Amino acid sequence: MTRADLVVIGFTLALLPFLYGTFWNRQGPADAALIIDESGREFSIPLDTDQQLHIDGPRGVSILEVRDGQIRFLDSPCRGKQCIHAGWLKESGEFAACLPNRVSIAVNGSEPLYDSINF
Amino acid sequence: MKPGTDRSVITIETTRQDHRIAWLTALAITIHIAESVLPSPLPGVKPGLANVVTIAVLMLYGWRTAMWVSLLRVLVGSILIGTFLTPTFTLSLAGAVSSLLVLGLGGLLPGRGLGPVGYSLLAALAHMAGQFMVAYWLFIPHQGLFGLLPVLMSMAALFGLVSGLIVMAMVAKLKERTS
Repeated sequence: MTRADLVVIGFTLALLPFLYGTFWNRQGPADAALIIDESGREFSIPLDTDQQLHIDGPRGVSILEVRDGQIRFLDSPCRGKQCIHAGWLKESGEFAACLPNRVSIAVNGSEPLYDSINF
Repeated sequence: MKPGTDRSVITIETTRQDHRIAWLTALAITIHIAESVLPSPLPGVKPGLANVVTIAVLMLYGWRTAMWVSLLRVLVGSILIGTFLTPTFTLSLAGAVSSLLVLGLGGLLPGRGLGPVGYSLLAALAHMAGQFMVAYWLFIPHQGLFGLLPVLMSMAALFGLVSGLIVMAMVAKLKERTS
């Protein structure tokens, strides 16, 4: 195998994730968030009213912010803050969780992108 | 009777090159037809083993021969299967033309250039991309089609790689025999 072959293989390996990222990302806007707290309780909140939610967890209180049809972790008593770095969730299917405080949010659209798909 | 003495007989001079193209095309068509009866997991996905012949020809005899073999295969294959001038044929031709263009461009690379694996992978990706664009322009102008593109390209990459490895083994074997 020549060096050019390896370049082509590398190009392909870079191209494929790019294609998935570009074309599999259009889930449609979300209009509700499903929140699961430490006890496994699930509740759904609409994203059309701006508000802040305080969710109790084993570490303390996680604060969620809803604004402009999006939701995010505003603050959470965890070390890594991955939940906060997940940023705003707005596309149907997005997901963020604070594992230390056992709070997770997933956003869903009531209207799926496709009515049906068949081959 | 010597050629030319009877006007009703027209003798076409065939070169060694013509015969070579005919034999290789026959091989490619056989593979093409055998493959067309295999069930496919997804529309538009098939291993494309006939391209093994195209790439092997490219490696052994150059781009011009590969072009003839590839285009004749699409033409004759479609006539034998019964898809001539149907959408299937159009897509097949679009794929063949795109991959030939990319193979031609690949041949311009300096240095040692591409080997069978690189050529095959590029050809497979170009084949799928060209086919996809034609499908989008002519047959299914719907944004939803693009949802299939990542999967189709992944399959193309996979089969292109496998075909390339087959060609690599084949060319090595042929060189071993002839030397």
